[in-house]
Amino acid sequence: MAQPDSNEVERYAAPESLDEALDLLADGDATVLAGGTDLMVQAQAGRVRYRGTLLNVRRIAALRGVRVDGDALVLGALTTISDLLDDPQVAAHAPLLAQAADQFASMQIRNAATVGGNVCNASPAGDTLVPMLALDAEVELATRTDGATVSRRLPLEQFLLGPGRTARALHELLVALHVPLGSGDRFTAFDKFGTRPALDISTVSLAICGRRADGGLADVRVAYGAVGPTPLRARATEALLEGRPLDDATIEAAAAAAHAEVSPIDDVRASAWYRRELVRNLTRRMLRHAAAT
Amino acid sequence: MHYESKVEPIAPPPVARQSLIGQRISKLDAPDKASGRTRYIHDLNLPGQLVGKILRCNRAHARIVAIDTTAARALPGVHAVLTAADIPQRCIGVNKDNPPLKSGKVRSPRDEVAAVAADSEAIALQALALIEVVYEDLPPLFDARAATRPGAPVIQETKPDNVSIAFDYDHGDLAAGEAASDVIVEETFQLHYVTHCCMGVSGIIADFDDNSGNLTLYSNTQVPFLHKREFAEVLELDPSRIRIIQPPIGGGFGSKLDIYPFEPICVYLAQATGRPVKLVFTREEEFLASPTRQPATVRLRSGAKKDGTLTFRDMEVLLDNGAYTSWGATIPFVMMQTASSLYRVPHCRFHSAAVYTNNPTAGSFRGYGNLQATFAIEQQMDRLAEQLGLDPLELRLINAQEAGETTGQGMQFKSCGFKACLETAAGASDFTRKHAANVARRGDADPVKRGIGIASMLHVGGGAKIYPSDGCGTILKLDDFGHVTLLTGASEIGQGSETVLAQLVGEELGVPLSAITVVNNDTEVTPWDVGVHASRTTFIAGNSALGAAQLAKEKILNAAAALTDLDPAALDLTGGWVVRRPNDAQVMTLDKLLRSLHFKEKAELVVTSFYYEPPSVHQDKGFKGDVSAAYAWATQVVEVEVDTETGIVRTLKVTAAHDVGRVLNRLGLEGQIEGGIVMGQGYGTTEELVVEQGRCRNPNFRDYKLVTAPEIPEMELHFIESRDGEGPQGAKGVGEAPAICMAAATANAIYNATGVQIHRLPLTPENVYRALHGQSTPPAMEP
Amino acid sequence: MPLQREIEFTLNGCRTRVAVAVTANALSMLRDQLGLTGTKYGCGEGECGACTILVDGASVNACLLFAVDCDGRQVTTIEGLARDPASKPLRAAFVSAGAVQCGFCTPGLVVQGSHLLARNPHPSEAEIRRGIEGNLCRCTGYRKIIDAIADAAAALD
Repeated sequence: MAQPDSNEVERYAAPESLDEALDLLADGDATVLAGGTDLMVQAQAGRVRYRGTLLNVRRIAALRGVRVDGDALVLGALTTISDLLDDPQVAAHAPLLAQAADQFASMQIRNAATVGGNVCNASPAGDTLVPMLALDAEVELATRTDGATVSRRLPLEQFLLGPGRTARALHELLVALHVPLGSGDRFTAFDKFGTRPALDISTVSLAICGRRADGGLADVRVAYGAVGPTPLRARATEALLEGRPLDDATIEAAAAAAHAEVSPIDDVRASAWYRRELVRNLTRRMLRHAAAT
Repeated sequence: MHYESKVEPIAPPPVARQSLIGQRISKLDAPDKASGRTRYIHDLNLPGQLVGKILRCNRAHARIVAIDTTAARALPGVHAVLTAADIPQRCIGVNKDNPPLKSGKVRSPRDEVAAVAADSEAIALQALALIEVVYEDLPPLFDARAATRPGAPVIQETKPDNVSIAFDYDHGDLAAGEAASDVIVEETFQLHYVTHCCMGVSGIIADFDDNSGNLTLYSNTQVPFLHKREFAEVLELDPSRIRIIQPPIGGGFGSKLDIYPFEPICVYLAQATGRPVKLVFTREEEFLASPTRQPATVRLRSGAKKDGTLTFRDMEVLLDNGAYTSWGATIPFVMMQTASSLYRVPHCRFHSAAVYTNNPTAGSFRGYGNLQATFAIEQQMDRLAEQLGLDPLELRLINAQEAGETTGQGMQFKSCGFKACLETAAGASDFTRKHAANVARRGDADPVKRGIGIASMLHVGGGAKIYPSDGCGTILKLDDFGHVTLLTGASEIGQGSETVLAQLVGEELGVPLSAITVVNNDTEVTPWDVGVHASRTTFIAGNSALGAAQLAKEKILNAAAALTDLDPAALDLTGGWVVRRPNDAQVMTLDKLLRSLHFKEKAELVVTSFYYEPPSVHQDKGFKGDVSAAYAWATQVVEVEVDTETGIVRTLKVTAAHDVGRVLNRLGLEGQIEGGIVMGQGYGTTEELVVEQGRCRNPNFRDYKLVTAPEIPEMELHFIESRDGEGPQGAKGVGEAPAICMAAATANAIYNATGVQIHRLPLTPENVYRALHGQSTPPAMEP
Repeated sequence: MPLQREIEFTLNGCRTRVAVAVTANALSMLRDQLGLTGTKYGCGEGECGACTILVDGASVNACLLFAVDCDGRQVTTIEGLARDPASKPLRAAFVSAGAVQCGFCTPGLVVQGSHLLARNPHPSEAEIRRGIEGNLCRCTGYRKIIDAIADAAAALD
């Protein structure tokens, strides 16, 4: 089928070294290509315009791999969604991510899509973003400064600024995600509402994490997708749950708080009213499950 | 010693007789399809071919003030830019109200205002972007209910009252029926827009030769012979100069039963450029510009006596015709059949009006109005049952017809498996017990409820005499290797018709399927057939093929008799042999016989032809008459799980009993039923074309939800073989049946689970959740 | 003139060199430039699976894959599988199970099915259903497609 007018692309590069890629990014006039599953669709629909350089980062070995580094699980930016499903380290240390990966699109897309791409795409409904928020994930961004490669870290919550907008400067490349390892007896759960196990774009998704303590959850994190301009942490809901036993009253109050705390819109997939109903009902259900297990 | 040689062996071995009927037979073209060899229209390219693209107006209702194509014409690589000014002003469509390129005004966002032929798709799209059109917006009309009110915008000048087509039917005496009723129910139902979503998008290739005036079209039409006439009219060509070649189709489901603007547009481009032109839709264009299923508002009022017998049915239907008229406006033909004859209905009145709006146009779609009518009727049957204190199955059995009955509309039910369908589906699914148990559990604490619902359908199963002829021609030729070529007018649209026809001929001539080639895709070669619609192909093309095969068999056996000095009545064909009754002793192989026919003194070929016209009649002016040679029934029992906290309805199991007359190709039949059930599941619970301000808001698979593999129910199929006397080997048509009553059965199941009845489709989670919580469906939402 | 790049990769076992526009997708490269029409355009957006191909052994949607990203990789289309004896049981199962009607979705499903069985030689019904969730079919209702993949798994034992 017809391809969009790509006259804007003047250079194409597929470097194998991170340094080379960062040099090409330095002038801020590059579009980054990883798996391509979002970029191809967005560009063909005219929602994204190519910059002067199309920079294919998929051959950079430094961006690959999953490893445990001290107290964090480090996911290279090129980790595919299928890798999240298959890698035993993810299953061991962040099963929530494997759960989300299992509800991501289709096998064909999982085989190509990368966590780096999913994070930088910053969709309000991003399937890996919700569990990463609940796991306190950080992004690692690299850039070239004075001939040296330097990197900085940023909590994911601060990285996601709005629909399709992130705190990544144009001369920066997302190189890895750092997911703190949980300690102790942890409850983690992810759910994506839909009539299908995976293929749907989220209407509502949620993740809850917390350390089990005194019949309830401590250090609790509650995150939602598709009910705000970015995936969000429901702080008021977390506050209601923090350190409290998970009895019916607490659960009901938390579900009601979540209902009030999210800000969904009406769109072709669902109305705002219905999304709020789902947030309340699914939160209640997930918390009851936490209480019962 | 002197020995006389003898011709007859002492004890010729018998040929093992194996019938093909009822077997699981693989589709003849499946191996090619499974290896990617099959070339669909998208895969065909002619030398010198140009790419055609259409500029659509994206305005609901507007006057065309000016079109400037100068810049587009000047673009290198552009061979033609056409507007209405460049082509004859002929119209297409059921009401001949649809000019392929619009002039004067546009009436819907999909309207075609210009077309381009260029060297490549990229150039064609650039050219479209350079065409400047000035519009003056006119007041739009989106609400069908407002179309006939005074002061409503007039959409088509020839129909100032905005009524495209109206139908009126009645039998009996409605007032008497009302008076005789002990219970009466009246409800209104809303049926929504869905679309065919064939996996292969629409396309056409036009190759016009100036010198000879010959036009060759590569088209996925389901009605090639009717289309020759349609094209001839709109193009002002001699119909005998038009040849239609049908590449394998990427899905039909009724979408290719009408001629659409893009088709003559492609021919105009070919004529203007002197080059072949290929015009293929994008998927987005397929959603935006293809015909939909006809949406409908159905007001249904019906009654019954205390003893459970139905008394009357009064159905009033409002159809949103859209801006132009296609087959959607004629679905009342089918709806009135269901209203008048699904169950015994002594008194019936039916009225429908299709009104013009600036919305999308509906076409023909598998089931053709029967889904809409059955959704209303089969829900109301459950309401009547409830008011009468009868079980839903009981009420249906009391009113189900039997063989030998004629309905108020004049339909003669010669073979009728209706009651068997009801009893089989209900029995196999343990319907009555589960239905009662689910009612008892409605008040339980568990938010996930189980429901079971039943619905039946009636549809034509032996063609439908709506055109001057409902016939189909076959030419059969046998060569000297015993190979059979079957030329049929009947198209294959993925349903396996070519395999069934080969099966019927193979059975008759006693040859294996590997010895048969089916040719069905070139109007230059194949005999006339009216087309693939009304589930008619197995019945009518099948009888046609059988007729030709029987003539061939007669010729063959007469020749064998002459050669062997036997009585032709003592001979038969089986296993590739001419055999002798009663033990099927070998006489000679078929190919040897055919060679001897060729090479003897009075040489002749075995070529036969047969044109089968079913013994049905045209309806009279009151729409009464035995319009089909046979009728078919089905009952489906649907079991669901309703999550009342989310509204998600999971279709767990479908138990389907289909009156098919006779199982021919068991594998193909199962495939049709399973596919139709899942299509019905989509219609009922997942699919919706969201139309706002005349525009489709979800023109993609991301937001138009087809059913996917994880969602399909368990399907248990039962075939009722009522052995129709006219059908080939007793078979009747089933193509549309399995899609028809799914939505009704599902709605009934949801009611069984929750006590909440939902009168509108689709039964998507939000819609079900709102119904459960007493909320109405929201108005148009932001995209 | 859109920027072009020459790439070299292995296509159905054969070293292939072709110049592609840098923003073109692999589907258009295969169909329009290389004449391999077995891989189908169903939606162009990765929602229907009709364009499923194998790249370095994994199934992906060709419509989402940048053609330039095929450089140096192993690409297999339905045409390649059709000549591979290892895929014969799967293709034969599609035929004998009645999993083919119009057949437009079939190439994508055969490719996806072969990837599925390579990863998981004994898939359960549920795993097969999940495995083909990215492939749409409008004709068959999926039942016989699921059966075909299960039959192939049994045959490959």
